[in-house]
Amino acid sequence: MIITLIIFIALFALFTSVGFAAAYWRKGDLSDLGQWALAGRKLGPYLAWFLVGGDLYTAYTFIAVPSAAFGKGSIYAFATPYVMTTFAIAMVTMVTLWKMSRRKNYITGVDFVRDRFKSRTLAIAIALTGIVAELPYIALQIVGMRAVLQVMLAPYFTSVTGVSEIALIISFVILALFTFVSGLRGATLTAVMKDVIILITVAAVIIYVPLTIKGGFAHAFQLASTAKPKVSFSTLPSKLTNAYISLFILSALTLYFYPHAINGVLSSRNLKSLRYSTAFLPLYGVGLFLLTLFAVLIYAVPSALKVVGGNGTLVVPALIDATMPAWFTGIAFLGIFIGGLVPAAVMAISQANLLTRNIIKEFKPDLKPATETRIVKWSSVVFKFLALGFVFIISPTYAISLQLLGGIFVAQTLPSMMLGLYDRSFLNRWALLAGWAAGMGSGIWFTEVANNFGILSTSLMKSPFGLLYIAAVSLAINLFVAYVGSAISKLISPGAAPATEKAGM
Amino acid sequence: MKTAYILAAILLIVPTSVLLDVPLYNHVNPELYGLPFFWWFQGMWLVIATVMYAIAALILQHVDPDKEEFQ
Repeated sequence: MIITLIIFIALFALFTSVGFAAAYWRKGDLSDLGQWALAGRKLGPYLAWFLVGGDLYTAYTFIAVPSAAFGKGSIYAFATPYVMTTFAIAMVTMVTLWKMSRRKNYITGVDFVRDRFKSRTLAIAIALTGIVAELPYIALQIVGMRAVLQVMLAPYFTSVTGVSEIALIISFVILALFTFVSGLRGATLTAVMKDVIILITVAAVIIYVPLTIKGGFAHAFQLASTAKPKVSFSTLPSKLTNAYISLFILSALTLYFYPHAINGVLSSRNLKSLRYSTAFLPLYGVGLFLLTLFAVLIYAVPSALKVVGGNGTLVVPALIDATMPAWFTGIAFLGIFIGGLVPAAVMAISQANLLTRNIIKEFKPDLKPATETRIVKWSSVVFKFLALGFVFIISPTYAISLQLLGGIFVAQTLPSMMLGLYDRSFLNRWALLAGWAAGMGSGIWFTEVANNFGILSTSLMKSPFGLLYIAAVSLAINLFVAYVGSAISKLISPGAAPATEKAGM
Repeated sequence: MKTAYILAAILLIVPTSVLLDVPLYNHVNPELYGLPFFWWFQGMWLVIATVMYAIAALILQHVDPDKEEFQ
């Protein structure tokens, strides 16, 4: 429908102007890195809630989870307990990190690791891990944006893939321009717009679609159970219990330790705003929960099911397109589209921060602030296009595996970043580094073996406990090495570890 | 003070411990609006968890020894 396209383009134009105008909002000196990257640390509880929520609920929510549930069934319901648990963890760990950051002026999580363990090598290893882990996550956002373009442009072009890729590149240039000019402020204001559109979309769609289906959820579940190949939707096959638990716990542990999530946390204005906004974030999860169910609902809408074919990433856009009025579809598509775009911007900014502050500055400590800001801006552009390139060379079918791969990497930073917050003097920097290397090495190795050294399609590995998320196994190896190594170093030279400041909860 | 921390810890841990017990909710009945128990039970815990976390946040903020420092 042409009206869908018109509304989409009009709203995208509005979105872009908001992004540029953001440079003038609560004006600060944007050539100062702290100003540019953390929005001058002026975010109150409501905006912090929008920003952090906006970053965490993304193409992962709209495209990857429904797509995975469509292909593999109820195992991907793990996303619901995952988001619930992650905020409980954040209410403890992120509060501690936030306080330390205020006292010592940390801008990134790696600043903390550097200061806590006084090891340049360890800090650089953690920074590189963060940068690498964000790439597949950004790629996932782009896969989501492409899915929207594909469904929207399909009626007008015979070869829709090529056209959506051109449209994707154009929107990326616009994104790069406005984050370049406005920094995190651009992402913040557009995140507010994005979240308003998204919440309207989710609420409308999840009420409207089941009502249009005769027999509602019961009917959809019944139809889904007869689909081929056979996949379990209504309950979890009991042999997948441990896979389910490891996916939800490890995802919950890692989410906040992605560099972009830490960036959002550190931009909270005060302790109260951080605590309360985090406590209320599980409410966002209700949207994710309902969207996961779209994987089942689509079976009750034959026309949408036909559009999806074998490509699960199209589940949510196709279902919206088939059931909602054309004008509303335009709004919803824009919501999902910028729902990938804004987080991609925030993620690239956090990668750039790590590269500049925690890697380049280690070697060139006398960098001028203006030069530093310039490097951050330019490298955030480079990272965006690097991730874009990533998308063109992988298969979109298993989009969620991209995020789960990132999770395997981030998990290996937890001993330094999370335990480092509470450990006073036991953990040794060289043991942590060895643990990190063992965790990364085993994580990559297990991933390769599980996928038969081919295209990434699973993040689960066989084990004596049934299938398990690779991040759990690699983290266990990492922790084992880190603790045994630290114990040995204590035996060799007791009392040598540097004293550290009290953390507080 | 100590009681407050224990109470907050319980409020933060209970939702996760309930959902860790997968066999507890891994069945179809009772259904709610056609949703299997496995699904709606987990969805319901998102809402319960928000309430519990909010109370925990109130408690932790109230007893936080650093709250004056970070006004």
